Amino acid sequence: MVDTQVKPSTGGQSSFRLPMLNEPGESSRTRFRQGLSARWSALWPPIVAIIIAIVAWQLIVLSGWKPSYVLPGPQAVGLKLLEDLGDPRFWGAVGTTMIRAVIGYAVATVVGTVLGLAVARFRVLRAAIGSLITGLQTMPSIAWFPFAILLFGLNEQAILFVIVLGAAPSIANGIISGVDDVPPSYLKTAHILGARGMSLLAQVIVPAALPSYLAGLKQGWAFAWRSLMAGELLVIIAERPSLGVQLQYYREFADATGLIAIMIVILVIGVIVDGLFNRIMNSVRLRRGLGPVRL
Amino acid sequence: MTTAIAISHVSKYFGRTGGGTLALDDVSLNVREGELLCILGRSGCGKSTLLNLVAGLESSSRGSIDTGGRPVGMMFQDANLYPWLTVSGNIELALRLSGVPRSDRAARIDELLEVVRLSGAHKKRPHELSGGMRQRVALARALAQDCRILLMDEPFGALDAITRDAMHDQTERISAERGLTIMFVTHNVREAARLGDRVIVMAPGPGRIASELDVDLPRPRRMDDAAVALAAAELHDLLERHELELHRG
Repeated sequence: MVDTQVKPSTGGQSSFRLPMLNEPGESSRTRFRQGLSARWSALWPPIVAIIIAIVAWQLIVLSGWKPSYVLPGPQAVGLKLLEDLGDPRFWGAVGTTMIRAVIGYAVATVVGTVLGLAVARFRVLRAAIGSLITGLQTMPSIAWFPFAILLFGLNEQAILFVIVLGAAPSIANGIISGVDDVPPSYLKTAHILGARGMSLLAQVIVPAALPSYLAGLKQGWAFAWRSLMAGELLVIIAERPSLGVQLQYYREFADATGLIAIMIVILVIGVIVDGLFNRIMNSVRLRRGLGPVRL
Repeated sequence: MTTAIAISHVSKYFGRTGGGTLALDDVSLNVREGELLCILGRSGCGKSTLLNLVAGLESSSRGSIDTGGRPVGMMFQDANLYPWLTVSGNIELALRLSGVPRSDRAARIDELLEVVRLSGAHKKRPHELSGGMRQRVALARALAQDCRILLMDEPFGALDAITRDAMHDQTERISAERGLTIMFVTHNVREAARLGDRVIVMAPGPGRIASELDVDLPRPRRMDDAAVALAAAELHDLLERHELELHRG
C-alpha cells in the first residue's frame, strides 16, 4: 500500500488539516471471497441456460419431429465433438481458420483505425466518405463474395478482402464516434497544457476515445468472424481444410452429427473471443471509474 | 510595478461580429505582476469569456490582450483531470508538454505534489479522489507548466465550505511563494474579498467592467475576518447598485 497520509502543513502558522485519501477498507482475504462469489454469480446463469438448451434439444429429438440422421441428439453430437478434439485434422482446420481470422482482423484493424482517425480529424474527408462507412457497415459481407472471387479467384485473398471490408467500417466507426465524443473540457485543458497536432492526438484524443474504439474493435471482430465463415463456405480451396470446408463436407455427406459439432465449435470460438474483448473493455472502463459494460 | 496582463478595448461577439450577441463590451484592464485579481459578477456578465480570451481559448472580436509571452495556466470549476492517467500521469503529461526531460520528471512530480499537500497520491486515479483533491492535482498540473499567469475560473465553486477554505489558504500561499499573477473568477463576494488584492466587479448586458475595489488587507487572511466581511459587504453593495442601474435602463 502506498503512504496515503497527507502531510500536514510544515509552514509556521497552523493551517487546516486537509482530508485524508480513501484508505482501502477491505483485507485481501475478504476481497478474494467476494471475487469468488462474484465469479460464481456471473457463472451460473449461462450454465443453467446451456442445460435448458440441451434439455430442450433432447426433447425435440425425442418427439420424433425429424429422423435422427437429420437431427441427432446432444449425446451423439457430444461424442462426435470429443472425437474431433482428438483428431489432428480437426485442429489443422481450426488452425487454418484462426490464422485467416487473425490476419484478416489485423489488416482490418490497421485500415479501420487509420481511416477512422482520418475521417474524424478532417472535415472534408468526413463529408466525402463519412456516411459511406456506415453504409458499408450495413452491407452484408456475403454480398461482396461474388465480386471478390471474380477479382482474386478462389483463394485466400478473396477471403481476406471480404473480412477487411466487413470489419474495417465498424472499427472506423468506433474510433470516429470516440473522437466525436471527447468532452470539450478535455480539449480545452489540452490546449492550455500546450498539446497540439500529433501530441494532442496521441496524448489526449486517442486515449479519450479508447472505450468507444474498443467497442468498435469488438463489433469489428464479430463482423470479421461472420465474413470469414461465409467466405470459407463459398471460397473452397483444395487441400486446405478449414472449419467452413468441414461444414460443407459434412453437408455433402449428410452427416448432421459432424455438422452440428463444427457449428458448436464456431459458436464457442466466437463467444471466447467476445469474452476476451469484454474483459479488456471492462478493465479499461473500471480504471477510469466507469461502470462495466453489461451484455 | 510591471504589467503582466494588458487588456485593452476588448470586445467579444458570439455569432457574427456586429450581428451576434455582444458578450464583452470594450473591456480594458491591467493586471500587475504578482497580483491576485478577482473578477466578480453574476452569471452571464462575461467574466468566464474574459478569462477564455486571456487563455487563448477564444479570440476577441476587437481589442488586444498582451501577456508579454508569459506562460499561462488555467483551472476550471471541474478539475478536468484525464481519467485514463493516474495523478502522477496527469502531472507528468503537463511536464512533458512543457518540454521537461524524462529524467527530471519524477522529482518534479514529487515536489509539486508536496506543494499542494498531496504527497503519496501518485498512483491514485482521478475518480478515487474527492473534489478538493482533484482540484489540488489540477493546481499541481498548472504549476507543472511553470506558468507565470494562472487563470482560475470558479475553481472552488463545487467544493464544500471547509475544503474551499483550505483551498483558499493554499492559493494564497502558493501565489505568494511563486509570485504568480492570478485572475480569479467568482460569483461569491466573500471569496473575492478573501482572496483578492483587487476586485473587478463586472455587470451584464453587455458584459463590462462596472467598478473596482482595492482590498488592502494583510495576509494571510481568513474567510471570517471582520475586515474581509466588511469588504464583502462593500462588494455586495456595489453588485446591488449595478443591478439597480441595469433595471433602470
